[in-house]
Amino acid sequence: MAQRAVWLISHEPGTPLCGTVRFSRRYPTVEKRARVFNGASYVPIPEDGPFLKALLFELRLLDDDKDFVESRDSCSRINKTSIYGLLIGGEELWPVVAFLKNDIIYACVPLVEQTLSPRPPLISVSGVSQGFEFLFGIQDFLYSGQKNDSELNTKLSQLPDLLLQACPFGTLLDANLKNSLDNTNFASVTQPQKQPAWKTGTYKGKPQVSISITEKVKSMQYDKQGIADTWQVVGTVTCKCDLEGIMPNVTISLNLPTNGSPLQDILVHPCVTSLDSAILTSSSIDAMDDSAFSGPYKFPLTPPLESFNLCYYTSQVPVPPILGFYQMKEEEVQLRITINLKLHESVKNNFEFCEAHIPFYNRGPITHLEYKTSFGQLEVFREKSLLIWIIGQKFPKSMEISLSGTVTFGAKSHERQPFDPICIGETAYLKLHFRILDYTLTGCYADQHSVQVFASGKPKISAYRKLISSDYYIWNSKAPAPVTYGSLLL
Amino acid sequence: MGPLSRDAWAQRLGAFRASPSAFMAGAEGEDLGRDLLGDLRSEKLSEQTKVSLLALSLEYPAQLWPDVSAAEVAATSLLDTLVLLPPRPSALRRPLLLAATTALAAGGALGPTSGASCRLLPLLLGLAAGSDLGRGFVPASEQRPLQATACECLRELESCKPGLLGGSLGLLRGLLGQEGPVQPLSLLLALALRNTLVLQSRVGAGLGGLLTDKVSPTGGGPWDWTLVEEGDGRLQPQAPSWPAAEEGEGERSLTAREHSPEEARELRAAVIQLLDTSYLLTPVAQAQLLWLLGWALRGLQGQPPALFKPQLVRLLGTAQLTLLHAVLALKAAFGEALFTAQDEALLLRRLTLAAQHPALPPPTHLFYLHCLLSFPENWPLGPEGEEAAPLLLGPQLCRGLLPSLLHDPMALLARLHLLCLLCAEDEEEEKGQLPSPRHYLEELLAGLRQRAALDEGPRALATVCFQASYLVTRCLAGQPTVLTPLIHGLAQLYRVRPMLASHFVDFLDQVDSELREPLKVVLRQEVVSRPGRDEALCWHLKMLAKVADGDAQSATLNFLQAAAAHCMNWDLQQGLLRVCRALLRAGVRGGLVDLLQVLARQLEDPDGRDHARLYYILLAHLAGPKLGVALGPSLAPPALASSLVAENQGFVAALMVQEAPALVRLSVGSHGVKGPLPVLKLQPEALEPIYSLELRFRVEGQLYAPLEAVHVPCLCPGRPARPLLLPLQPRCPAPARLDVHALYTTSTGLTCHAHLPPLFVNFADLFLPFPKPPEGAGLGFFEELWDSCLPEGAESCVWCPLGPQGLEGLVSHHLEPFVVVAQPPTSYYVAIHLPPNSKLLLRLEAALADGVPVALRTDDWAVLPLAGDYLRGLAAAL
Repeated sequence: MAQRAVWLISHEPGTPLCGTVRFSRRYPTVEKRARVFNGASYVPIPEDGPFLKALLFELRLLDDDKDFVESRDSCSRINKTSIYGLLIGGEELWPVVAFLKNDIIYACVPLVEQTLSPRPPLISVSGVSQGFEFLFGIQDFLYSGQKNDSELNTKLSQLPDLLLQACPFGTLLDANLKNSLDNTNFASVTQPQKQPAWKTGTYKGKPQVSISITEKVKSMQYDKQGIADTWQVVGTVTCKCDLEGIMPNVTISLNLPTNGSPLQDILVHPCVTSLDSAILTSSSIDAMDDSAFSGPYKFPLTPPLESFNLCYYTSQVPVPPILGFYQMKEEEVQLRITINLKLHESVKNNFEFCEAHIPFYNRGPITHLEYKTSFGQLEVFREKSLLIWIIGQKFPKSMEISLSGTVTFGAKSHERQPFDPICIGETAYLKLHFRILDYTLTGCYADQHSVQVFASGKPKISAYRKLISSDYYIWNSKAPAPVTYGSLLL
Repeated sequence: MGPLSRDAWAQRLGAFRASPSAFMAGAEGEDLGRDLLGDLRSEKLSEQTKVSLLALSLEYPAQLWPDVSAAEVAATSLLDTLVLLPPRPSALRRPLLLAATTALAAGGALGPTSGASCRLLPLLLGLAAGSDLGRGFVPASEQRPLQATACECLRELESCKPGLLGGSLGLLRGLLGQEGPVQPLSLLLALALRNTLVLQSRVGAGLGGLLTDKVSPTGGGPWDWTLVEEGDGRLQPQAPSWPAAEEGEGERSLTAREHSPEEARELRAAVIQLLDTSYLLTPVAQAQLLWLLGWALRGLQGQPPALFKPQLVRLLGTAQLTLLHAVLALKAAFGEALFTAQDEALLLRRLTLAAQHPALPPPTHLFYLHCLLSFPENWPLGPEGEEAAPLLLGPQLCRGLLPSLLHDPMALLARLHLLCLLCAEDEEEEKGQLPSPRHYLEELLAGLRQRAALDEGPRALATVCFQASYLVTRCLAGQPTVLTPLIHGLAQLYRVRPMLASHFVDFLDQVDSELREPLKVVLRQEVVSRPGRDEALCWHLKMLAKVADGDAQSATLNFLQAAAAHCMNWDLQQGLLRVCRALLRAGVRGGLVDLLQVLARQLEDPDGRDHARLYYILLAHLAGPKLGVALGPSLAPPALASSLVAENQGFVAALMVQEAPALVRLSVGSHGVKGPLPVLKLQPEALEPIYSLELRFRVEGQLYAPLEAVHVPCLCPGRPARPLLLPLQPRCPAPARLDVHALYTTSTGLTCHAHLPPLFVNFADLFLPFPKPPEGAGLGFFEELWDSCLPEGAESCVWCPLGPQGLEGLVSHHLEPFVVVAQPPTSYYVAIHLPPNSKLLLRLEAALADGVPVALRTDDWAVLPLAGDYLRGLAAAL
């Protein structure tokens, strides 16, 4: 279980090479083992230049995809994971774990401890999951709290020293690079015995625990016969436990009100020491029934120093917070649109913001607009072919608002207006963006009594909640729309 | 050269990193390794600069110190630098340890004869044990980090030389139980334990007291290399037999020996110790520990896999990729012994939900999806190594894993694969599932085609559409309900966007004929039903070159005739000619002749005209099969990427005679003695089917008249061929060597020429009998011949040795046809006619037990030595 090399590459479309290697690290002792294990099928790690070129080609990130290239576009070259074979100098380097995120390509090559021909199944290569974890760890480090390019550069320059701690020989010791950073910074602190490897020091100060629950709600609404609307809540519980002692024991509980929606698909942080089987088995895969476990959801744990995601969950609430329909018709040179949105009465009518974005893809700029709205204001972005309906902080008393109008477009110019492979013809959507503070759709909450701390001193408990929309789509009901299999199950 | 400044080093390192090979080939390359070691001791350089030098040596030791001795020198120098550090905290100790370890391990110097190894190992073990190394070697503040680093270095050395720490197991266990850093020690102990188990059982030894001896293996004396040497330095894979390759190496060696109850108890205690503190490890380190221990204990007697059970629930609850992966590894290692059917179902459900959990990133989803389709089931049904949906993963579980157009290409293809597997199963099950997966699949493919048809769409949209179609045809071959709509959908896609012709051509190349043939037909219809002058003409021609064949000739030719008028530029003309060529190959003749004639006159481009004329000539002069080969793909890879060169090479290959190794063998059979001339009976034998075989013979030294060539229409291996008769016309009665050449056509239509091994015509092959004298006149006839030989001829007497069959056997075997007078078993008179006009007469009389004196006469002096040799060789030939 080790990595032969790791790279960070910035994707720079429009430049001659389309990218730059920002960081790379090779592990020669692992490479030596690879040569022995792989035998005749061994392919050495290339230098940065050829690797960059081959990876960008394979990921289709070079600017030249005008022509059909068999080694990339052939129908039989099917990749179903983020693990690639790169053709370099006539040989294929495999497996290369790689993904693009925020214009940075993260890549590494795990050691395979056997011959590569025939290729072993990925599931049997222990280095693959380690490689992913390594790259995710680097990604977290680079992007946590990072705001601009110079901060990114600073963090990139710290990487060599950090990897000397976190991965000195290619075998990853800790995916959380911030721990290594602390290690480097406080190398002189004598650590007490039996210190967990994921906790680099101890906290000194006032005990406090903060728990914040963020729920994102997504939805696909069609307003159509035969196609069911779908919606889902995804929750993330983030904690920061500032407690003295090497390994303070804490139990955090999440509670639901009586009419709350059960939490499902719960994934916990590795610091959680044990799990109730009811938590482990409550899953959205099963048909819902009244017997579903509805908490309290107890998580005994020994917290790390830094802020961590205690758990993720999903939930199926009975109704979507905002139900809407969107009708769009092409009438000769213009589009006629009608939109209706209704806030469910059970939802807290106090938004931080609420907007509906109405994009028009694959058309020219908006040249003319006539509209009538029962509530809120409409902003027009002519060049982007986008309307934004600003609903504001509250729905009116009726809880229902509408917008109707006609839009006319100019001639298409390819550079300016966005292309979208889905919104063709009348297939179109509007997307809701909203945020409600101190509220969760499931009702899930943590309070003073939710936290038990088995350590000296009574900690101050603070709890936060918020609901955010994410991928909240309402499709034009007058045209075909992309459906998921789940929408067809009525 | 004095030490370089910080900036000079920064520049040098930058240049090296930009391209190590180019730098090393340059002027400075040779000195880099030496300079680096030297400047590490320079007092002018800051620690930060030195750390960057060491960082380079951690990555590129093979470039800096390319051979074993250089690596040894480097490691020694690094250790010296370490020892010389002043006794105050320094950022260099860790990287120096890492660098010395890397230099030894990567440079191949690690071993009992290496001085640096013998210094480094005890040093590392001492550091790992937290011992006092004296003289303030380790400042107190650095002790803890160095302890961890030393463990990491030892682990790396143990990975590269399994068995290195076999003697330190007890020590490491003791340290883990005391105050040592948990993670580095746990991982080191687990690895050393696993390697020791494998190596010890391979040589049939037990663990002995290894787990309990707490003495340092050095004990002041030299390092113990025995276990390393027993293992031949063979590396140990972590999961040696996953998927269950028949009795994998690791498994066999581990089950080879049972441990004594005491050993088993100690081993179990050590494993439990490791597992109990595993929650103190980072998730990635926990995963490593589980992989190591799981596969180490697999199949080991007295080590119940239930040891792992307390960890499982905790692990199953997490979202960590490495941990869930490690659980899958345990599942693969122990199967039912650790996971009951219910556990298996739970694991599958967790995997299923992780594969779609919105909180996890897309690469994780895809990996989990792969794990689902390669899930190590307790009782797998399908063939090994093929992706399949596990039995317990029913349609209900899969619901959330099905593809939709909103997914990115990789997720879409991965999920599509699952959908196809469901559709394949669905066929056997009763209908009634709503909506039917197959219907959903069809809608999805239609959506993909619609996207691919978008005018401005990027190529990736088309690629994913064809990849999806290909995946479907592979998974659902033989299901017309899926394939028929697919074919028509693709034809429609072509109608809308002919510029995807390259994708269609590639698709046709990849799919089975079950889909290819009907798809070709509809695509051809799509093309030829066009007027032949739209702007997509170049794509139509490309398409047609792929799909044109003998069917629908007139429509195709009409289209081409119409198109010819619009082929104004070189590209289009070449495209047009490519279609003609495809038609030629398919054996189309009639209308094509006219078209080619027209093209040869009308095309603007002289090169195009030439080609049309060439095709016309080929069509007019070559028979069908030969034409097919002439126009087939070139056998030789073209030297230039030009179609003309490639094509030309194709012609050369097809129309010229190829030198080839002989595909035919000839052997000389028994010779016949009928007729006026000696006849050689040849037995041909083919190694491959060959046609129109012509065998040409040349007699060396012109001893015979020139020989006629022999023709054989067809030879097939394994089918007996009639013997070939080769009449010889000797100019003098002497044996000869025949040079043989073969000219033939292979089944691929190539004409080949081969030189066969020579054939030998023996003296006896030339023997002919004299006309038989009337009954009773034999003796007189013989005497007359006998007398006529002299005086011009020659006479001799030869001792002819006899075998066990005696004289009678000898005569009947060799001379029967030529006997004129016989008084068996004592006396035979033999008369042989040697063409063109010599005779050889033999009297064999008064045979003794071991031989017979032969009186011989001939009218030709030259025959005498041949006859002597012949007679002396007879006994041996019996």
